[in-house]
Formats: sequence, structure tokens, C-alpha cells
Amino acid sequence: MFTQFFGNYLLNEKLVTPEQLVDALQEKKNTRLKLGVLAINAGYMNATQVEKAHMEQTKRDMRFGDICVDLGFLTEAQVDELLGAQKVGYLLLGQALVDKGYMDNATFESAINAYKAKYSLTDNDIVDGTASKIDELISSLCDFSSTDNEELYTEFVSLLFNNLIRFVGDDFTPLEPLSVIKESDNTYQTTQGIEGEFSTDTSIVADEDVMIAFASRYADEELTSFDEYVSAAACDFINLHNGLFTVNVSNSNEIELRLTPPYTDKGIKQTDKKLFVLPICYPFGTVSFTITL
Amino acid sequence: MNISDMKILVCDDSILSRKKFKDCIVNMGCTEIYEAADGEEVVNVYKEVRPTLVFMDIVMPKKDGIDAVKDIIAFDPNAKIVMASSVGTQSFLKDAIKAGATDFLQKPIDGEQVKRLIENFLQGGN
Repeated sequence: MFTQFFGNYLLNEKLVTPEQLVDALQEKKNTRLKLGVLAINAGYMNATQVEKAHMEQTKRDMRFGDICVDLGFLTEAQVDELLGAQKVGYLLLGQALVDKGYMDNATFESAINAYKAKYSLTDNDIVDGTASKIDELISSLCDFSSTDNEELYTEFVSLLFNNLIRFVGDDFTPLEPLSVIKESDNTYQTTQGIEGEFSTDTSIVADEDVMIAFASRYADEELTSFDEYVSAAACDFINLHNGLFTVNVSNSNEIELRLTPPYTDKGIKQTDKKLFVLPICYPFGTVSFTITL
Repeated sequence: MNISDMKILVCDDSILSRKKFKDCIVNMGCTEIYEAADGEEVVNVYKEVRPTLVFMDIVMPKKDGIDAVKDIIAFDPNAKIVMASSVGTQSFLKDAIKAGATDFLQKPIDGEQVKRLIENFLQGGN
């Protein structure tokens, strides 16, 4: 989940544009991590040293790692360690941004260090997906402290990120939350109510073409026009997410919740309740998830 | 019994979920598959078709899956009904079993799980 938050961090710090981020997210799966980015991430080399080693590589027919050892930037053991380390997603995102020329090594170096410092993240947190750190990141993005059910709302968003990664794809970035839904003349909304001790309305909102793309990903089918399958896929996703949410809440908080049947409509249903709108930027467009507070 | 002798009824308000079920069951060699899209329809189809096995969603319009199970069991106490839902909470499981359901599948539906369940059923495993 740190990849998604790193993307959000880069956007907020205006280090990349949304278009560049989307492009890099698309490229991420074809990206191979290179030693320079790994060494910067580990704090073994700085950007200047990486640049220098790159320059040197144009003159000498040697592998990058060997050049770094030769120049005294890395030890053999460090090279082995870096090459054997787990390939974490946010690094692939960083690598894709560097490869595309949207960011240079120096910007990547300061961004990754500042991101880790801001949330006191260690590489172990990132690899293990330390739950408390993820909650902290979610709280920094989504402030539910003024609600009566901060813990449940945070759990809802945390599970949503996990379900998106699991069932739709990890190539997304959460954008800054809003309190209103942006609507155009071809916006669709899939709605489901949660009832019981904790009662709220949830929805998925997207423009027609984005909803089709979202549904295609989730259903793992080529859907090309807005038909009942698209509508059903959006309903299935929200029902699946809310279903798993009720299971978690039942297990950890011993609160029993019920769900109303989901449905998809064209246009936005107006509500007088306070809204929390979380836009999620995918390469195919932005899908918003809403929950009433 | 062979799978080709089975009549399977799939009840889910999502056309996509029904399709996923059907794809998986057809692949196993079942030819008689019936569908229902809500808790009222499934009771009517059950009475008409008398299927060997029912897959039943829980959260549905008109009548939920638990009430539909109660109605079907009242009509046929030997009905074999497997709940398939994303809402696998203890209390829903209890309600479903009390109503007469024989098994539970947690969504998302995994083809392998459905296959094992049907194979188990054919061997008289439940």
C-alpha cells in the first residue's frame, strides 16, 4: 500500500503531474528496478554518485554494480544485498518515473527520503506492510477524527485500498479527499447502504467510460459498452467490499451490520448527510468512493 | 449421481455473479442450470424445477437469501442449499444454518471451491 501513498505524496508535493503519475503507473509493470534507484533507497549512494557511475558506464563496458564497487561507492556485499532485496512497489514507481524522465535521481533521492522521514517509515515497515504505519498513512490522508466512528471509517478505507489492490489492480493513487461529488452528464453511481449500529451509505461514482474500464478490470471481462454487466460488476465490487467490511467489524468489534441490495443509477443521488469522497486515480480514469459521515 | 444428472439453481441478484457460477458449473459438465435474480423468484423456480443443488446469495432485493432458504426448506425439508455471499459473518452463518442451508461459500467466488463443493456433493459428502 506504500506505493499508492508514495504516489499521493509525489502529487501533493507537486513533484509530478497527475498525467506523469498515471503514465508511470501504467509503465510500472514493465519496469525493471535498477541498482541506482535501489542504492539511493537504501541510503548507500546519493544521486550525484549514481549519476557519476552512469557517466562512467558510458566509457567502460562494465556492469553498473561493478563500476560502483570500483569507484568505492558500494561494497560487493552491498551490491549482492541490493540485488537480492525484495522488489517493493513504490520503488518500481520511482524507477518508472526516472526512466520516463519525469524525475531525476536527485529528486527521487530527496522525495524518497522526505516521504520516509515524514511518516517515520523503515524499509522493513514497507516490505512487511506494518499495519500501524498503514493506519497512520490513512489517517494523514483521511481525517475522520471529527466523527463518532473514526476507527470504523479508517478500517473502511484501509480495507478499500486492500480490496482495490486485490480485485482491481495496484496501479492507483488516492487523491485528496473531497466533500462533494463531481458530476458530469454521464456520471454513474453504484450505491449500497450499511445498516445497524453503524449506519452509512456507500457509493462508487465514475463517468461512463471509467465505470466500464473499472468493471472490466474487476470482472476480468472485456466490457465495451455500459450494459447490465458493467452495472452488476460495480454492484459486485461494492457488495464484496462492504461484505468483507461487515465480516471484519463483526469479528473485531462484535458489531453486527446488514447490507441493503446495491444498485447502479445514472446521475448522483443527492443527500443531506455529510459526505466523504475519496477519488482514486487509475490509468483509465478516476473512480470516487463515497461514504456518508 | 453424475454431474450430468444434476440440476443446479443459481440465485444471485448480480448477472455477473450468476455468469461466473454458470461458467464454472458448465465447465464441470452440468447441463441443467437454472437462474433466479431475487429471493422471491428462487422459491418459485425451486418449486417448479426441484433442483439437486442451490447456490444462494444473501443480500438480494425483494427477499433476502436467508428468508428464501426458510421458504424452500418449508416446501422441501431435504433441499440442498449452499449460501454464497460476501457477508460471511458469524451471525449470518448461524442464521443460514438455522434456516437449513448446508454449506457456505465466501465471495469472491473461486471456481476451484465450487468444483470441490460439487464433487463432494456427488460423493455424498454432505
